[in-house]
Amino acid sequence: MKEESGKTQVFSRHLVGKATSEHLANFNKLLADMMGSPEGKPETLQDTTVIEVGQANFPGIISSTLLAEFGAEVIKVEPPEGDPARKITHYGVNVNGVGIPFFMEGRNKHYITLDLDSEKGRENFKKLASKADVVLDATKPGYLDSLGIGYRQFSQSHPGLVYVAISPYGHFTSKAREKCNIPDTDLTAQAEAGYPALTGNPQAPEPYNYPLKAGVWAASYMSAALAAAGTLTALLHKRKTGEGQMVDIATYDAISTWQGFSIVWGFAFEMPRVRVGNFDWCLFPYGYYEAKDGFVTVAAGADADFRGLLRIFGRWDLENDWRFLFDRITDDIDKLKVLEADFKKELAKFTRKEIVRKTLSYSASAAKDKLRGKGFPIVVETRSPSEVLKEEHWKIRNSFLEVDPARNGKFKIPSSVPKMSESPPRIKRVECGLGADNEKIYEKYGLEK
Amino acid sequence: MPEDYFSFTSQLFDRTKISEKPEALKGIRVLDLAHVIFGPVISKWLGLFGAEVIKVEEPDEGDPWRTASYWAKYWKDSNPFFQCFNPNKHFVAIDLKKPKGKELVLELAKKSDVVVENFRAGLVEAWGIGYTTVSKINPKVIYISCSGYGQWGPLRFFPSWDLIAQSMSGLAQLTGFGGGKETYKLPDYYGDFFPGLLGAVSVLAALNYREKTGKGQFIDMTQVESLMRIMHNWSYMGLTGEDLKSTGNVDPTMAPSGIFKTSDGKFVAIAIATDEQFLVLLEAMGKKDLAEDKRFRETSERLKAQNADEICKVLEGWVKGKKEAEIIALAEEKGFPAAPVMDDFSMMKDEWRRERGSVVEFEDEMYGKGIWPTLAAALHKTPAKLKSLSRPVGYHNHYVLQKLLGLSKSEVKKLEKDHVIGYWTNRVGQKPPSYYNMEKDPIFNYDQGEKK
Repeated sequence: MKEESGKTQVFSRHLVGKATSEHLANFNKLLADMMGSPEGKPETLQDTTVIEVGQANFPGIISSTLLAEFGAEVIKVEPPEGDPARKITHYGVNVNGVGIPFFMEGRNKHYITLDLDSEKGRENFKKLASKADVVLDATKPGYLDSLGIGYRQFSQSHPGLVYVAISPYGHFTSKAREKCNIPDTDLTAQAEAGYPALTGNPQAPEPYNYPLKAGVWAASYMSAALAAAGTLTALLHKRKTGEGQMVDIATYDAISTWQGFSIVWGFAFEMPRVRVGNFDWCLFPYGYYEAKDGFVTVAAGADADFRGLLRIFGRWDLENDWRFLFDRITDDIDKLKVLEADFKKELAKFTRKEIVRKTLSYSASAAKDKLRGKGFPIVVETRSPSEVLKEEHWKIRNSFLEVDPARNGKFKIPSSVPKMSESPPRIKRVECGLGADNEKIYEKYGLEK
Repeated sequence: MPEDYFSFTSQLFDRTKISEKPEALKGIRVLDLAHVIFGPVISKWLGLFGAEVIKVEEPDEGDPWRTASYWAKYWKDSNPFFQCFNPNKHFVAIDLKKPKGKELVLELAKKSDVVVENFRAGLVEAWGIGYTTVSKINPKVIYISCSGYGQWGPLRFFPSWDLIAQSMSGLAQLTGFGGGKETYKLPDYYGDFFPGLLGAVSVLAALNYREKTGKGQFIDMTQVESLMRIMHNWSYMGLTGEDLKSTGNVDPTMAPSGIFKTSDGKFVAIAIATDEQFLVLLEAMGKKDLAEDKRFRETSERLKAQNADEICKVLEGWVKGKKEAEIIALAEEKGFPAAPVMDDFSMMKDEWRRERGSVVEFEDEMYGKGIWPTLAAALHKTPAKLKSLSRPVGYHNHYVLQKLLGLSKSEVKKLEKDHVIGYWTNRVGQKPPSYYNMEKDPIFNYDQGEKK
């Protein structure tokens, strides 16, 4: 399917008849405008200044990046030797000495150095904070307070300030006090949020049966988005009332409370869940399976979707025993394995492309069914990142940006999410050298050199 | 002597004062046309901070998530997980296929500040309740459309669920012990929750913009782009020509790192991010000599695959001889990142979360006492508040249509009779708890009197 500047095909599935033609035309006009470059459009947080300070704390770094993508002026304050976060990177691979995560989250920010251990550095920090809307403190809880530049001091001198604290156990509670020395990492945050306890196969041989961490920074990114949402909520209150406040993010509690299943399960059923490998607690089939030439992903949890798959497999004989989701979802894993074995057998007969094509063509014709009773089973190739990069769709949406900061080879970084009609987020620059903006920012804010 | 910092903060965040504090999003009305998770959690955030959320569902069906519970287990005839994503909302059930139903939705949209939807791309436009229609009657509206792949591009009509999004983003192959034999999904629908949270970030950013400029806008939020946004693979691939593969419990950006088994059979996670943390870990392990080893001395050396592997083995061996509590105590004392691997039950019981208010004991008028998660984000002046759990399908029909749209009780009754609005069927997840007397419920039977 080829895209023609977003015009004619947008509603081919849904739009027939005159009644909707006006919506179609208007929406397409809007989309065509959104497909263009964000350059020249206003920025969402153009009037907002954010000071970020932190020590090897990616939730802090990422949350200020999210605000910077929306146009906030973000000034990252680092000690003269730099934030150790710069060195955190996969197998030591770096760009001009900067690690991949720091580079990727370095976009749109201004980089200055201040020695907060010196009187001059602290005075400069105060000056910055007095002109800022947000101070984002991702240092050890109580550290900035001990230097006289924490929320306690600013809430007196600068009551409009939104002060966002980001740390593993937060800045209040007795446990936060006990554990204030413990630094943040994604892995430890996942663990304290109970995430690895839900992943992996308990029946595998040791150590492959251990609780398993997510293979991306699931906790760091969740914490960062929570911090950004908390900041923006507080900023809205500030816009209405002029009042600032303290926002406290506990990174070790981010996934556990935002996804929430764990807490609710713990409360309603008074026990922890057991790990179920590649099963889901709520849907079957809903997981990764091996086709002839690699993994496919099967999601056909609803009864109609499940029956659709049985039709595709030519296995209607299974229908009687497994008709309802209640039959297919059980705490008896051995029972489920009986059904899974049949599914594995059927899926292994196809190549990835074959089964995807077959399912899609089934679903396309089922969608025309008036009663919609034939379901919409979905099978897709379990894509590797390099397969993802070949996808035309992301090119059309500019979902990646190609950069060449060291002038020795291009590589990609993901673009800002989402797309917005009036004031879209964007990447304006990717330079993130230590102290790169000292001159400019020192002058702008009248800091002492 | 100045007050201790943690005493100062504990006063700021004093849980006993929460009910007296104002709400940051009071006065903001959200029309929630969304279902399942991605979408409903956006208005969950807004509702927890005081926005008035009106959730529109299909009569007789409701949000499909109502009837889909983990291991098909329910709580008081409801799905406790549905409760969790739909607190503080008003529940109306309107048939969007009927012209009168569309009219009602447009009337509600006219009076809303934010509209959230997550149908297939373009569907709301086709129905005539999309942004282009709503913005004509309500130019300041912020309208967020959530989908798998976005509103334009060749994949736009392709279906998506959390798991499909994990696959289409390339994230699916990153969790596991490598070797390509097995791979695991991120549990509990990360592919819905993270994009949903970014959706809330976008709506909040747009609300800030609107506060300043008076302008609304359309937001095209996608699951797959959100997941691609958090992956470091793209840059790694460009810089090295290789894919990043799954690495089990090792975080390849930190060395040593992993989840290890302790002498008392428990699991702890340890990850060393900086040279400073490495030195204090060596101190804790009593292996300070390794600080001079050139394979480990500097972060850049330590991260190289072979060196990382070796130092991980040293750590693994040390953990094996220690109890969990000993390791955590050392981490607290010395200051290196370590945490126990918690589970569902231990987190629900955890004193720390209760003290923070991120897990609260809450008494609901319909469902009674329960323990529920709120947020890991605490705002001291305008805290998130859990005010009510979810309600049966159509529970607020009368309340919302009379109070907000000014219809009379008899007009609403007429809508019922014409099946424009509707209620639950006798299915678990949709219906009221069996012990609850709906006849006597003042909201369900809301009557503001006949119009003048």
